[in-house]
Amino acid sequence: MPNIAAFVKISLDPNMIRTAGDDKIDTVNMQMSISEYDKNALEEAVKLKEKYGGKVIAFTALTWGPIDKKLKDTEVIQREILARGADELYVITSNLILNSSPLYTSILLAQAVKKVGNFDLYITGESSMDIGSSQISSRVASILGLPVITYVRELEYDPQNNLIRATRDLEDSYVKVEAELPVVISVTGEINQARIPTLLQIRRAFSKPVKILTDKDLNIPEQQLLLHKREDLKVIKINRKNIILEGKSLDEIADKLISKLREEGVLKV
Amino acid sequence: MSTVLIFSNNPQSFTDAIGFLEVLKQKGLNVDKIIGVTSNNSANTEDIKKLGILELYLYDSKSTDDQIAKGLFQLVKKFSPNIILSSSSKTNNSILAYLSGLLSLPMLTEISDLLNATSDTLTLSRSVLAGRAYSIESVKLPAIITITPKKFTPSNLAATNDIKLDNLPLQDTTVKIVEVTPKKREGVKIEDAEIVVGVGRGFKSKEDLKLAFELASLLGGEVGCSRPIAADLRWLPEDRWIGISMKKIRPKLYIAIGISGAPQHMSAVDAKIIVAVNKDKNASIFSYSDYGIVADLYQFLPILINKLKKK
Ligand SMILES: Cc1cc2nc3c(=O)[nH]c(=O)nc-3n(C[C@H](O)[C@H](O)[C@H](O)COP(=O)(O)OP(=O)(O)OC[C@H]3O[C@@H](n4cnc5c(N)ncnc54)[C@H](O)[C@@H]3O)c2cc1C
Repeated sequence: MPNIAAFVKISLDPNMIRTAGDDKIDTVNMQMSISEYDKNALEEAVKLKEKYGGKVIAFTALTWGPIDKKLKDTEVIQREILARGADELYVITSNLILNSSPLYTSILLAQAVKKVGNFDLYITGESSMDIGSSQISSRVASILGLPVITYVRELEYDPQNNLIRATRDLEDSYVKVEAELPVVISVTGEINQARIPTLLQIRRAFSKPVKILTDKDLNIPEQQLLLHKREDLKVIKINRKNIILEGKSLDEIADKLISKLREEGVLKV
Repeated sequence: MSTVLIFSNNPQSFTDAIGFLEVLKQKGLNVDKIIGVTSNNSANTEDIKKLGILELYLYDSKSTDDQIAKGLFQLVKKFSPNIILSSSSKTNNSILAYLSGLLSLPMLTEISDLLNATSDTLTLSRSVLAGRAYSIESVKLPAIITITPKKFTPSNLAATNDIKLDNLPLQDTTVKIVEVTPKKREGVKIEDAEIVVGVGRGFKSKEDLKLAFELASLLGGEVGCSRPIAADLRWLPEDRWIGISMKKIRPKLYIAIGISGAPQHMSAVDAKIIVAVNKDKNASIFSYSDYGIVADLYQFLPILINKLKKK
């Protein structure tokens, strides 16, 4: 396979919810990690590279600020993207995309790939694990004037005919499609098991380039009026009893459980 | 407010969208004209007539996403709708996101609430961070919006007009649909069950799930599962899959067995009481549960099943 662009988001980690004050999500200090299904997208790109050659260039648009702090805080994650097999990483920063509006993020990602080179395949995850708009693949495709194939759970490259065969996993059906390259695809989490980088891969990642692209590099005019804005981001509180049932034996615990469920009025028997 | 374009690959979206327009009206925004677009497969014009749609554009159900989006682009240029509306689904979102890229318009998916509306701005709410938080967002019109299915139900479907039918203009594409295989379904409605027993990767084989089925039948409930059980392993059909990417449930009792408690799973469980059985005392499922049992499911379930049999 010739060259692949992989869009890999560095997301707020929903397993590490952190709030500032009462219920506001603390986006500044919350822990971040590679968006789960973008790991599968990157893995799929790297598998194609191992088989058919070419390069995998990763692009990440930094959608949470402040930019300087996040650039620094996410250095380890940037290295992880490279350790997972990308040859180079472009980090896109802009005030326009802070707070993750897919409208602006897709425009910047499309500008960035155009600037960096010609790719044969563009790949990303079905949705990000923080904002989950599921829009980036389709939006980038339409801006680049390419078709899109979303929710791919099986992917094959046919080098003779320079096309891909993919199976889409939709709500009611599996749909097999064929497409000429270049094309943009999004993958589901089921497409593969993303490898955990080895120590050697982590060490190698330090010699691979990380380049920053700002909106000035991408010739994005300053937007006067934002068409889409996040006004607030609030946690949904979990209110559970959190009682661990204990006892000398599982027998005793089972009895306790049954009597608790009776008390709560949720057992029909 | 004037024109709204409702797009739908499936009939449900039309009712959802009309329900949303009713809420818009309550907030003071009126719609003069509704244009509909759907696949010739799902078009039941009699039902669609009742919704007050004036013109309906149809496309062949074998069209690809980029083709449909480009067809929609032509319609948007013709009618300049203020809102392009649909309900959230993989296909609807993929097609409309493509359209929004062509138009450089903002798009919001999975909208669960309309908070405010003025003639040029909507304030909307959607669930984010795997269902652990909600995001309030404002968007300038024109915009593309997909709403959570079955969230907005229309009350009065009075209108009956003569509906004008036409074809959506389609161009060629480089994507070819080779084969469509419908998914297996059991027709179980875990979303209506009062008791749900959830199974996760803590089960070592498909055969072992019979423990959960036995428990569920003793309790008069249904078996549901986590994403890997349905999607990865395909041990159970997808109508049993619980989570933000499939079904939301609201039983009285949810018993999660061998499930780690990922937010993407637990955010879709709105139960009066949640019980968790997991052998790892640090599993995050315990922070989502009322009663936790730290035990190996292979030891605990037979004991519990035996006791319930004796009752
Ligand atoms: C965008 C996105 C969307 C997603 N959507 C969904 C969704 O809709 N639904 C969903 O479920 N997931 C979803 N996921 C996946 C989710 O993050 C988790 O990976 C998944 O829910 C884990 O499933 P599990 O709990 O069955 O498996 P695991 O996380 O592997 O947990 C298995 C658990 O079983 C326990 N266990 C093992 N053996 C035993 C034993 N003998 N006895 C007792 N306990 C045992 C272990 O301690 C562990 O806690 C989504 C993820 C993303 C990124």
